Amino acid sequence: MSLPRPSLMLTRLKVSATWRSVFRHGYEDTRRNRLLQTSSNVFLHLHPTTTPASGLRFSYTWGLGGLSLLLFVVLTLTGVLLMFYYVPDTRRAYDDMKDIEHVVPFGQFLRNLHRWAAHAMVITVWLHMLRVFLTSSYKPPREFNWGVGVLLLVLTLLLSFSGYLLPWDQIAFWAITVGTNMATATPFLGAEGPFSVVTYDNDLRFLILGSRFVGQSALLRFYVLHCLALPLAAAVFMAVHFWRVRKDKFSAKPTPAPSQVAAEAIAEAPAAAGRAAAGSASPQPDRAAPPPRSVDVWPHLVAIEFLAMLVALLALQAWSLWVDAPLEEVASPTNTPNPAKAPWYFMGLQEMLVYFDPWLAGVVLPGLIIAGLILLPYLDPNPAGVGLYTLRRRRYAVSAFLLGFFLWVGLILVGQFFRGPGWIWYWPWESWEVHKPAYEKTWNFPWPLGLAAIAGYVALGLYAPRRLRPEVFGTIGWGHYATLMLLVLGMLALPIKMVLRLAFDVHYVLITPWFRI
Amino acid sequence: MADESPGSARLPQPPAAAESDAAGTIWMPRRDWLARITWWGFLGSLAAMSGASFRLLYPRVTFDPPATFKAGHPDEYAIGAVSERWKKRHRVWIVRTAEGFFALSAKCTHLGCTPNWIETEGKFKCPCHGSGFDQSGVNFEGPAPRPLERLRIALADDGQLLVDRSRGFRQEAGEWDRPEAFLRFAG
Repeated sequence: MSLPRPSLMLTRLKVSATWRSVFRHGYEDTRRNRLLQTSSNVFLHLHPTTTPASGLRFSYTWGLGGLSLLLFVVLTLTGVLLMFYYVPDTRRAYDDMKDIEHVVPFGQFLRNLHRWAAHAMVITVWLHMLRVFLTSSYKPPREFNWGVGVLLLVLTLLLSFSGYLLPWDQIAFWAITVGTNMATATPFLGAEGPFSVVTYDNDLRFLILGSRFVGQSALLRFYVLHCLALPLAAAVFMAVHFWRVRKDKFSAKPTPAPSQVAAEAIAEAPAAAGRAAAGSASPQPDRAAPPPRSVDVWPHLVAIEFLAMLVALLALQAWSLWVDAPLEEVASPTNTPNPAKAPWYFMGLQEMLVYFDPWLAGVVLPGLIIAGLILLPYLDPNPAGVGLYTLRRRRYAVSAFLLGFFLWVGLILVGQFFRGPGWIWYWPWESWEVHKPAYEKTWNFPWPLGLAAIAGYVALGLYAPRRLRPEVFGTIGWGHYATLMLLVLGMLALPIKMVLRLAFDVHYVLITPWFRI
Repeated sequence: MADESPGSARLPQPPAAAESDAAGTIWMPRRDWLARITWWGFLGSLAAMSGASFRLLYPRVTFDPPATFKAGHPDEYAIGAVSERWKKRHRVWIVRTAEGFFALSAKCTHLGCTPNWIETEGKFKCPCHGSGFDQSGVNFEGPAPRPLERLRIALADDGQLLVDRSRGFRQEAGEWDRPEAFLRFAG
């Protein structure tokens, strides 16, 4: 009895019923197998089987949505491993962190991966939103999915925020103390907010912390939110997000016929001669043109995704080998570090606190930002630019969005690099050891002047754009227009108040017995 | 409906509308009635369940440290000085003036950080956002919207100071004038 050759065994195995129960089709490079590779695989079938070649250019999407998903998977896997060694008990949480770093094999590396992947995910999700905005990929029929995306951004930030407390070190304790105290300033539902209807024992902060202080119940609540509730919610919204991407034609990148490309090239040219020529060119697409070139998703798109994944994982691992995640001293409720800085992605909020009271900076303005982002596709009346990076055809939308985006980035940079002890301005090259007395002699508008200033600002902001550029702002209904303008005015109020404070030492523009602005 | 699509013929037709008989009693088809009861029952139980889940998040008992503590005898404090003796353990400063004692909560009224007493400048300075308070606890710089809170202070039976952290007195509400917010002591 001689054993059969190994290659023969493999061939036999591959025709066996068992093998075929798992792998439903062959791997030979045939057109049929390529399509089945996508459509008969539960993970890959989120893709269509074919996609327009024009959407595959890396510099169109920058792979940011896919990278965000990859980082979420990395965070889930590393997070599960860290859970084996971490107990959310204020008496031992910090010691568990030390054990993970110094006793558990590869614990420090795993923790680094988890921390840096979380930071990276905040960045990729932000940039993904910026990319989708710039290519107008939120315009019909994708308005709803943009809203889902905004919720995913919020969930990403909440996941980061809830994870921040778990190490139970000084920076964790105080970032969460400051962050949750903002909930106390919520109008109506916070004990110290304007028009408060609650006490410290039943307000929003108590709901979050399970107590009046950051303590054991807060740690447990944040742990459960971080490890269970928020990841589940994110997974559900991700399923909706990806499903809608697929249903909404996968890529917004248009695949114009060659004659359209030529016409657009002329229309985009700034010269007057070009514009005249475009006027004479036929706006109808050439019916005789060949159909848009599409390619099979397997292997063309999947290969790009795989490569992007490999590069991202390599970079993440290299960074995690190189830089250790910070861990400060154990949390101490009576000793606030100076300065006590929020995590960098919330530094914009913390810097806003210099210019506005907590109920505005910590609650109302962030709420308006989120609401404004979700409403954005329904407020932007301009259908132009879908699938294109174009400033010329969406001047107002792009400049307003970029202003907001870079304002946010600017606030983060100021908070991170230019604020020292006492939240006083220190240049990056200045030593924090040098004591700087806080010079601050501020003054407030008397209330009639403040009321007039705010009313005038809103009235002018509502009146002027429609009056000066009726061809842009006169085409939409009044309710639509007013919502859009009030959101823009709310955003512009921030730089205006910054200038008033920094250049003219104005503390409050309007003081009322109930709230101050 | 005049313009129904052809396919809708197979869908269940809406039940006949409610009718009232000669006596004015309103009758509705049994199915309608059952459907309505079921929907309200379902929505009602959903609301009750949500309410119960929400209420669960506010426990009746919290295991916070006791609110009152004894702070030693009055003669252990110097007149005109801010004592940091209890800050680390209880987050309270005890200030003695020529007239008596008051206890200041070491919790910034902006966002709850713990300020530091800066002896050389005679002020409390919050490290988080730069709020400053003078020795009496009144805010004079930075984003803090109101003065630090004073806590209930009294003399215990054994002659020690007794501080109750669960009761705060606000200057802007005129509460600093209350006898419990300031312990008169000349000794």
